[in-house]
Amino acid sequence: MKVNDLILQTVTTLLAFIIIIFSIYLFFAGHYTPGGGFIGGLMTSAALVLLLLAFDQKTMNKVFPFNFLTVAASGLLISTLTGVGSFFFDVPFLTHTFDYVELPILGETALASTLIFDLGVYLVVVGIAMTIIQTIGESE
Amino acid sequence: MAFQILINIIIAATWMFLKNEWSFPSFFVGYFWGLVIIFAMRRFIPGRFYFERIMAAAKLLFLFLRELLLANVQVIRDILRPKLKIEPGIFAMPTELKSEWEITLLSLLISLTPGTLVMDISDDNKTLYIHAMNIPDVDQAISEIKNTFEKAILEVTRNV
Repeated sequence: MKVNDLILQTVTTLLAFIIIIFSIYLFFAGHYTPGGGFIGGLMTSAALVLLLLAFDQKTMNKVFPFNFLTVAASGLLISTLTGVGSFFFDVPFLTHTFDYVELPILGETALASTLIFDLGVYLVVVGIAMTIIQTIGESE
Repeated sequence: MAFQILINIIIAATWMFLKNEWSFPSFFVGYFWGLVIIFAMRRFIPGRFYFERIMAAAKLLFLFLRELLLANVQVIRDILRPKLKIEPGIFAMPTELKSEWEITLLSLLISLTPGTLVMDISDDNKTLYIHAMNIPDVDQAISEIKNTFEKAILEVTRNV
């Protein structure tokens, strides 16, 4: 019995964009306001799961043709490397720094090395969440 | 439509260049003059004048709000009546709308007005199956939806 999912699919294509831009906002908001890598990653996973609900596994593999285990592993690697980077400046492991940089368009911006660590967290969360859901979904 | 909006934004940007004022009010004035120019030259541009469509969309919004209010009053009257006098039923409504967005919009508008609910769409996207709380007359219900929502949506999306 195949039902016509027209309404769900049409609304999902619109909503996924809004959820993903909200997740990116949350990811960058983490330094001074609530948010951060973990909740941003969960939001992105939520958008991907919504797409997975509206469409099917085959379509998702076409749109996102990468293995989510690799995504999780690369996120872990990035986070570890930011910790290792502190050795080059003779400070303890995982010491983070920040600086004010003059960017061409944005003007003076505070760039913290914690952001790269957060990016690793983000990738780990997206990778793990999607791996769990896809594994459960595939086991017939 | 998108092409016309692009032209309008380019005219507004040109206006800001000429005035050498980079602010929102200056952009707004440029945009207004762009609208006037596009309205005057609308014969040369393919498609409808896009501001008409925006007005039609606003009209659709107000129509929806009005229907929402009226249908809510109707449902409250049905609920508060001591004796239940409703005739629920499911009917099929053939639709003329073609694109996925139009059908989705129509279904969501029908579902959001109380008393009616879209249950399913046929596989060829030509028929909506609607459950209604109180339909003494099926043909009348179909013609009501057709004359309000479907007409307003067609008004927004038609291209000529």
